[in-house]
Amino acid sequence: MPKLTIDGHEVEVAAGTNLIEAARAAGVAIPYFCYHPYLTVVGQCRICMVEIAGQPRLALGCATPAADGMVVKVETSERAREAREAVMEFLLANHPLDCPVCDQAGECLLQDHSMREQGSEFATHMTETRRTFPGYERRLIGPHVVQNQNRCIHCSRCIRFTREISGTAALTYKSRGNSTFIDTFDGSAFDDPMSACAADVCPVGALTVREFRFRKRSWKLLSTPSVCPGCSIGCNIFIDHHERVVYRFTPRENPAINATWLCDHGRFLAEPLNEQAYLDPQHRTGGQTIRVGWGEALAGIAAELKDASGLRVVASANLSNEELFLARELFGRHLKGEIAVPVAPGEPRKMRNGKGEWLHATDPHANSAGARRLGLDLVDGEGLSRFLYGGAGLTLILDPGAHPFLASPEALQLLRVGTTVVWARREHPAAHAATWLLPTPSLAGNEGTFTSSAGAVQRFAQAFAAPGTVHRTATGAMSPSCPTIAVPWGPPGEARPLWLTLAALARELGVPPLDLASPADVFALMARKDKAFAGLAWETLGGLQQDESFRERQHVG
Amino acid sequence: MEPVLLRARGVPDSRSIATYLAAGGYEGWKKALGMGPDAVTKEVLDSELRGRGGAGFPTGRKWSFVPKDHPGPRYLVCNADESEPGTFKDREIIEYDPHQVVEGVAIASFAIKANTAYIYIRGEFVRWARILEDAIAEARQRGFLGKNVMGSGFDLDVWVHRGAGAYICGEETALLESIEGKRGFPRLKPPFPAVVGVFGQPTVINNVETLACVPHIIVRGAAWFASIGRPKNTGPKLFCVSGHVNRPGVFELPLGVTFREIIEEHAGGVRGGRQLKAFFPGGSSAPILTAAEVDTMADFDACAAAGTMLGSGGIIVFDDTVDMVDVADNVAHFYAHESCGQCTPCREGSDWCMDILDRIVAGHGRPADPDTLLRICRFSSAGMTICPLGDAFALPISSIVNKYRSEFERRIASATPLPQKKQPVLPWAGPCPGFGI
Amino acid sequence: MSTRPIVAASPEALQIVTFDATMEARIAELLPRYPTRRAAILPLLWLCQERFGWISPGVVRAVAARLGESPAFVEGVVSFYTMYQTAPPARYVLQVCTTISCAWCGGRELVAHLKERLGISFGEKTPDGVFQLVGVQCLGACGQAPVIQINDDYYENLDIAKLDAILDELAGRS
Repeated sequence: MPKLTIDGHEVEVAAGTNLIEAARAAGVAIPYFCYHPYLTVVGQCRICMVEIAGQPRLALGCATPAADGMVVKVETSERAREAREAVMEFLLANHPLDCPVCDQAGECLLQDHSMREQGSEFATHMTETRRTFPGYERRLIGPHVVQNQNRCIHCSRCIRFTREISGTAALTYKSRGNSTFIDTFDGSAFDDPMSACAADVCPVGALTVREFRFRKRSWKLLSTPSVCPGCSIGCNIFIDHHERVVYRFTPRENPAINATWLCDHGRFLAEPLNEQAYLDPQHRTGGQTIRVGWGEALAGIAAELKDASGLRVVASANLSNEELFLARELFGRHLKGEIAVPVAPGEPRKMRNGKGEWLHATDPHANSAGARRLGLDLVDGEGLSRFLYGGAGLTLILDPGAHPFLASPEALQLLRVGTTVVWARREHPAAHAATWLLPTPSLAGNEGTFTSSAGAVQRFAQAFAAPGTVHRTATGAMSPSCPTIAVPWGPPGEARPLWLTLAALARELGVPPLDLASPADVFALMARKDKAFAGLAWETLGGLQQDESFRERQHVG
Repeated sequence: MEPVLLRARGVPDSRSIATYLAAGGYEGWKKALGMGPDAVTKEVLDSELRGRGGAGFPTGRKWSFVPKDHPGPRYLVCNADESEPGTFKDREIIEYDPHQVVEGVAIASFAIKANTAYIYIRGEFVRWARILEDAIAEARQRGFLGKNVMGSGFDLDVWVHRGAGAYICGEETALLESIEGKRGFPRLKPPFPAVVGVFGQPTVINNVETLACVPHIIVRGAAWFASIGRPKNTGPKLFCVSGHVNRPGVFELPLGVTFREIIEEHAGGVRGGRQLKAFFPGGSSAPILTAAEVDTMADFDACAAAGTMLGSGGIIVFDDTVDMVDVADNVAHFYAHESCGQCTPCREGSDWCMDILDRIVAGHGRPADPDTLLRICRFSSAGMTICPLGDAFALPISSIVNKYRSEFERRIASATPLPQKKQPVLPWAGPCPGFGI
Repeated sequence: MSTRPIVAASPEALQIVTFDATMEARIAELLPRYPTRRAAILPLLWLCQERFGWISPGVVRAVAARLGESPAFVEGVVSFYTMYQTAPPARYVLQVCTTISCAWCGGRELVAHLKERLGISFGEKTPDGVFQLVGVQCLGACGQAPVIQINDDYYENLDIAKLDAILDELAGRS
């Protein structure tokens, strides 16, 4: 473990750590553009030059491993400062400096570093004619990526990403010298399954994501750590949102699962999170659907549960561990109902972890592993249809999106036979067959844990404040108790996470240990009662305890 | 001096193996196989042979850096990517005596225990690539190459690998990338090629002329070689003289002769009876020397002491009609064209220098331009870049600006500013009525 | 010298490229020289250029498929090196050295003469497709300045009269 001094701060790092990471650990920021912790080191941008005592030439922070007794100067070195200033001058000489109209602004490494080096005297570049790439300024190079070659600083991160991570080698440098530019083969579409990551790794606005660009200034966004709901691999993400609108998913670092990557399939599940078809609980009675309050709905459903002659629960592999656990305890153990967790076949997905290994999945659900761990019955489409044919007085559909079969005419016919309670967020035919319909929020409005296919139990946090902190009056106006009047921060309408409804139902039914106030409580109970979760503690799950440098590191993406 | 490397020049049918064998060819190879790799390396080390490609690094030292205990294959690469402006010596060797190169390649491969060698030759040299291929075929036929060479148990394959038009591939790590089938991007060092080279294996890269010296060292001994030239700057050297001289060409002379002797005696002096103004001593990458510095000795250390370098030995002579601003501009065009574009200072700096020099030449220079050029050059060299191409354009250009600054200033003094694009006159243009500005 | 003219295949003919037995035999000769298939990219591109006259996107695709690389990778390599022709070339490509020794020893006059005689600038072809003018950097024959490389062959120690004679001969042949 080499121990070294960086700008007067002593730090001990693992052998092989480079100076950029060692400095980060010491609280010193060495700027970089081409360096990326999960890509090969190329030392191209030259901005990370530092002075090492006893060495005549400046060294590269990215390519120099920390050595014992090394004395490194970053901010305190005049030579290094001059070199950085010169590199910035070289880069800016041909950069359009169009930050006001560039969507990367706010999360641009070049802009960040310009701000940091403000006050230096370089300005010769301001008088020169800039290099341009006519025809390459605003070009859709693939389904999700927009290229502006004029802004490119030739760091090659995107090229290395396609060669080393996604494996398609779809991007390349063309030409050479000062006319070098990034392109696909013969102008073909950049149809990499992880194409948007190329825009993530782009330190400037040369590659941006078509779906996100110009929708929100990045500095307005709040990032909530979460887990991708796209498949069972369980990639770690941030939900980037502002004023209750989800704008995008960005990858959150997890070396064991997704390093700093995210596939396009998962990434573009962000937009659908904004759909909220159902805002209030509904009750269908006498051929009419009426909106009801939560109190009335919960009391009504509790009464149905007490009187039910046979209870069937269609759970879902998209639900959190906590929700599945509560469903199992309440409906299975206590009310002696039958629970099935339908799983649908999915497209093959893959993700490259921090060691460069591929993780594969064909399971489209985020939490099949959690359902299995809780000992629930996983059924396929056929099993689900048999389950529904079984006949029971009361059927609960915890998530109509659990399986496509639930939208089939056959299933709807079966659901109409008895009493059906449906929890739903998006428009779904099963909701029309429901006696009781309870609105649930999206992943962004919920909190809990998923178990990945590899068995990692990972937390996702709630992007919007917990329901109940913001109340709407009957007319829809904000209640006076709300701290900010202009902005309703909670999930839309009266949607409430499933776990909260299940806990409330347990209260209604007088099931004592299920009187729980938060997903953390549920998790603690689950860890106590179920040996599959024994020994796990909510606080230490899922990497949510990362410090500030973590987010900065995300800036690599 | 009795010619060594160019002894075959002018000999009829000099390229054939029969002619080469008649002159004692492949004797060095036979002797080397009997000596064993370590003794061969020691002999070359003792000869103080320094690399003829430009850097002047001791060849024997380079060979000794190959890890002795490396389990996998090793490679020898002969650098025949002769592209430095002013340099045309390797072509001369290949033209008249290709077997000398093949024999040098064989001995060097044996010294580092490489069973495969590549000769990387620039793409334009189609003819000379064929000459080398023919020579290799002849040598293979006579049993000097191939499996179990002359019963020694040593196997050696030599292949010619053609470049395709990129000066940067003369830089040894860019050359390795090019052999591997990639864009010629120089690699970060360390690791050095002797440890991690082509295909990830230990590799030694030597220039054609360097390798051509090796058979002679083995046959005639290190002491003989070291007796030519000056201490630490030993052996015969090919000097290429071009530009404004009466007899341009390649001259084989001991290291340590003066540039005056080379230019005035061997190259016949400055053309048309004019005066010498300046010369590049070692290709256009070397800082320029003025007529006053013509008595500098042409060897590695004397050139370094004079603030320049011997480089590849390509001497480009300018007479007193030449405007040095034009020279700087031409040099800038070359390097801007040949910069690989990988790292920032060279990609941006070479092109920026070219733009500035173009505008000075076009009569639109600005007073600050010479200083801007010096600043660009300062931050494109001395370790700011991945490979020495940054230095290669920065040092000659800054040397020209420094030594002939008055010529730049004269041009700039009579310059007219570039016509500015007229701003469109908009209906609301003019002082803002509301605020009285 | 009898410079071999380039016979360039049409863009249509090179849309989908397959390698015939002769080509495969030469590839089979190439591959064992290197421990990786990728290393055969440059030599195989040379073979293709010799065979088809230039490197079309179809050729790039075929080379990439044959050597197990992505077409983008191969195209990146092609575009790095100046000698791979990425458009159908003229029968004779006049590559005029513009670097120092040639420039100051008559090269600039040759360029001016060529531009006037052929009526084209650098990078252009004559309308009859016989000549193409390319300004190149140092050809490594500075002692024989000025130098022009026509297709594969070097023409050295030129002056305007010698150059005219060469062009007349080449134009007459085609």
